[in-house]
Amino acid sequence: MAAPTRSEGLFGFGFMEGYRPLAGVRDEMAGEDGAIRPHWRVFLSTLGLLGQEEAEQRFEQMAQRLQATGATYRVFDTPGGRERPWPVSRLPLLMSPGDWREICAGVVQRARMQEALLQDLYGPQTLIADGVLPASIVAGSPEFLRPLVGVRPRGGKFLRLYAADLGRGPDGRWWVMADRTQGPSGAGYALENRLALSAALPEAFGALDVHRLAGFFQRFRESLAALAEPGGAGVCVLTPGPLNETYFEHAYLARYLGFLLVEGEDLAVRDDKVFVRTVAGLRGADAFIRRLDADFADPLELNAQSRIGAPGLVRAARAGNVTFANALGSGLAESRALLGFHGALARRLLGEELRLPNVATWWCGQGEARDAVIAQLSALAIAPAFSPASSSYTDVQVGAELDGPRRARLIEALTRRGVDYVGQEIVSLSTMPVWSEGRLTPRPFQIRVYAAATEDGWIVMPGGFCRAANSADARAISMQMGGLSADVWVLSEGPVAPESLLPAEGDIEVKRHVGALTSRAADNLFWFGRYLERAEATIRLIRAGHAREALNDRDERAVSAAISALLIGRGALTPHDTLLNRKVALAALVGSGQVGTAADSVAAARRAASHVRERLATDVISTVDELADTLDPAVRPRSDPQERADRALRLLAAIAGLIGENMAQLTGWRFLEMGRRIERGLATLDFVRALGVDHASGASLSALLELGDSSITYAQRYFIAPARRPVLDLLMLDDNNPRACAFQIRKLGEMARQMPGEGADESASLARRLVERLSAEMIAIEADSVDAGFVARVRAALLELSDALSERYLVNRNRLAFSYRVDE
Amino acid sequence: MIYDIRLVTLSTYDDYVPFARHVLRLSPMNTTRQSVLSSSLSVEPASSELLPGRDFFGNRTVGVVCSEPHHSFIARASARVEVAAPAPIGATPPWEEVAGLALAVRDLSPEAPAHFLFPSRVAPLSDAIRAYAEQSFPPGRPIAEAVTDLMRRIHADFAYDGDATNVSTLPEEAFALKRGVCQDFAHVMIAGLRGLGVPAAYVSGFLRTLPPPGEARREGADAMHAWVMAWCGPAAGWFAVDPTNALVVGEEHVVAAIGRDYADVAPIDGVIFTAGAQRAVEVAVDMAPAA
Repeated sequence: MAAPTRSEGLFGFGFMEGYRPLAGVRDEMAGEDGAIRPHWRVFLSTLGLLGQEEAEQRFEQMAQRLQATGATYRVFDTPGGRERPWPVSRLPLLMSPGDWREICAGVVQRARMQEALLQDLYGPQTLIADGVLPASIVAGSPEFLRPLVGVRPRGGKFLRLYAADLGRGPDGRWWVMADRTQGPSGAGYALENRLALSAALPEAFGALDVHRLAGFFQRFRESLAALAEPGGAGVCVLTPGPLNETYFEHAYLARYLGFLLVEGEDLAVRDDKVFVRTVAGLRGADAFIRRLDADFADPLELNAQSRIGAPGLVRAARAGNVTFANALGSGLAESRALLGFHGALARRLLGEELRLPNVATWWCGQGEARDAVIAQLSALAIAPAFSPASSSYTDVQVGAELDGPRRARLIEALTRRGVDYVGQEIVSLSTMPVWSEGRLTPRPFQIRVYAAATEDGWIVMPGGFCRAANSADARAISMQMGGLSADVWVLSEGPVAPESLLPAEGDIEVKRHVGALTSRAADNLFWFGRYLERAEATIRLIRAGHAREALNDRDERAVSAAISALLIGRGALTPHDTLLNRKVALAALVGSGQVGTAADSVAAARRAASHVRERLATDVISTVDELADTLDPAVRPRSDPQERADRALRLLAAIAGLIGENMAQLTGWRFLEMGRRIERGLATLDFVRALGVDHASGASLSALLELGDSSITYAQRYFIAPARRPVLDLLMLDDNNPRACAFQIRKLGEMARQMPGEGADESASLARRLVERLSAEMIAIEADSVDAGFVARVRAALLELSDALSERYLVNRNRLAFSYRVDE
Repeated sequence: MIYDIRLVTLSTYDDYVPFARHVLRLSPMNTTRQSVLSSSLSVEPASSELLPGRDFFGNRTVGVVCSEPHHSFIARASARVEVAAPAPIGATPPWEEVAGLALAVRDLSPEAPAHFLFPSRVAPLSDAIRAYAEQSFPPGRPIAEAVTDLMRRIHADFAYDGDATNVSTLPEEAFALKRGVCQDFAHVMIAGLRGLGVPAAYVSGFLRTLPPPGEARREGADAMHAWVMAWCGPAAGWFAVDPTNALVVGEEHVVAAIGRDYADVAPIDGVIFTAGAQRAVEVAVDMAPAA
């Protein structure tokens, strides 16, 4: 790549050189002759003024920023999937005012049409009786939810957020490729893209009159907030959970809009009303942004195998006690088969012609259309009729690409059960510039445009979620297949007033807490704390045991054996293994898939954190990620156990520091802390029992101080070699030593008194009584009397405390689908 | 013919269940040839709340909310039902004509053929089953004759075997095994008919426990039974056949619920909250002519 560091003229960049549209394909930035279109010129010249070096740096920072905010999506190329960083294109898509007017009007029209369609199909079904739609086009859709037939959604609307996927066809017009009515995704990513790119290119963003996004979200938020009864949990974002590919966005939107993020497990339906299980009991919830596909919403009336919904939600909807945005059943309008009928539907339902054309589609359930599709098979793509039009392209067959036998099979299938297929015109989409392999190349793209229903009608988000293909083949536009996303800058004809989601100063009510804490979130915070602390204890054991590798002393060997026994008890070692072996020590540290290794505890902590990512600082999440990398044998494979252990302990200390300094010390923090304190207490008791009670030698007591991270405190207080009584006092009874058992119990007592339901006028819970009793015992005992029996009693009491907390506040049961024929 | 039907199901759990919700579809429904003279239903824990309702297909459902901790759940249903033998199906149009008519009906009401044309949750389509079914459907054959032939072939080619399959066995697996229970036979037949474009429904219900004097013992009478209805055009309507016993449904079958497949009409389903697992379900059913 040629690399002039200063640009001379308008487009002096190396990476701009030689940008040419694909032959015969319209490009958004450049005309056929390579000339830059007028509405791109200001942007490109501002970019040019930055100079290539500066620009590179900015984009580098943008990538880092996105990584730091944890912007991810889940890719399903491995079982369970894994998260990938969010790929954002360096250039926005610029949208001229004229194009945008056309798109806005067209998208609002479609939103109105889809709303009317759903009203009819779940209501009087006149479209069927009058033959506008064949009955089977509705009956064949898995999103036609029969339990909702005849149910008018509360508030009267099916759709509150609608989106259309658009592409520009060869005729220069914007075409609708698909409708999104189930729970349109991507608006949160669009926001994230905007924040990232406008921060990277403030000059360009400022030089152009770009419509802001915040106003749209503000109004969307207000219109939803008006749906929730006051006094309840407010609007909730209902997510399928962290395994969903767009979970990051659910958490992000919840945080941005100030709504509570809930999973089906958080919900309880009683007397056909919906409640959120919080640590302070059930709280009413009646308005949801639904990101859970409707079929999974209620195992009682929809998919009985769903483990992510809430039993009774459909009854609650039928009783008019809950509003879903969008209503259960709205996914019906996404059906591909319907694309062929939209022209007729617009005329019938709205008395209008469609402003934006559809990609031409023929449903093969009608003899004539099917015969026409077969006749021109080579010019068409054949797709399943009832998958959403937005679904992946993997199940689409391109007529022209089929060999003889496959073509014959397809024709046979079309003849036999045409109802299951549509034929679609293959549209070659226009391209936009995308950064790839060190230069700009033209790539086909689609843009998703959002409309929200408000009191005053539909409003359109002035921007969009743009996805570009990772090859010149326009059929490959999917994040799942490695495409890029780009910010969309809608240019205004006049100056744009800056706006932000922040309300005017005077309207802000001062708050010291953030809404309800769901029991599930509390449970995950509690276990996040416990697993972090468990990982720390395991690592300390491995490090202490492994360090004694070279010591050939009888006492030290006994210490090493005692430590190995503790690790065997935790599951990190298998019986007969010894830490003296470097490979064994490494396996105890990084072994994955074996319950009890340090890596396993970190993985469990990370899983728990993933369910509450909207409640944890992004620095905590990224440090936990770094910790997981440190214990990943594939990352820096040559690093030795000692080095890994040291690094992991430093990161654990950093996480503890971030939690202590960055998290408001409210109920959620208390659950996290209680998890940590209980687990640390248990670990200390294990250490004391093995090295200070069962056997006590100079070697074991100094190992005990090392494990309890109290060697320095001891040395400062006592100028003698470790002796049993002072060591036990320091690690068991000194409630000023943050590693001592008594310290954990003191802290647990302080937190237990502040738990929900522990007010002065209420009777103390079991958890509270347990911890008070323990505190009293710790105060009463002398170091000399600490024996195996005492250690075992305290240990049992801590475990009982953990159970009592779970029983009272947390989620502690599995949910099973009832099976009528149990397999034996 | 008047029958008395009694049914008891008992499900037990490893650990206590503090909360559960169920949907029961255990009670016979009124149809054109079947009228329920009396019926009753009770459950244990007796404190459970019962929420009677109807589903989309018109089946009687009872929602159950158990908020009392329990180790077992018992449902008892009884009914007295009068059943009339259906009129003989008579002459029906060629099956291809019926498949075409099914697409032309402008109706989405619960009995409309359109609902029963497509793959459903636990009855997906299968090329293998369709090819098997096709042998009963030569061009121009009257639909009822073809359906009856397919029912007889399934009965002849498949072995009734309660151990070969389980509640989640897909029709294609049961078809490969050529074994299963009434649920599997019904799903195989449904997948075959729909593959050919013939609307087919799943029926759950009761079968007379002891056959009429002089006839062979029936399979599937000791639990809730399942059979199939095929749509034979607007004039003839729905035609019910029992592939497990090679019987055209007459006076020996009592309908509890009709749906697209087992998932629509499962006698009991629901969600239980527990730390343990669900153990076996025991079912006892008795259907005898009223004394």
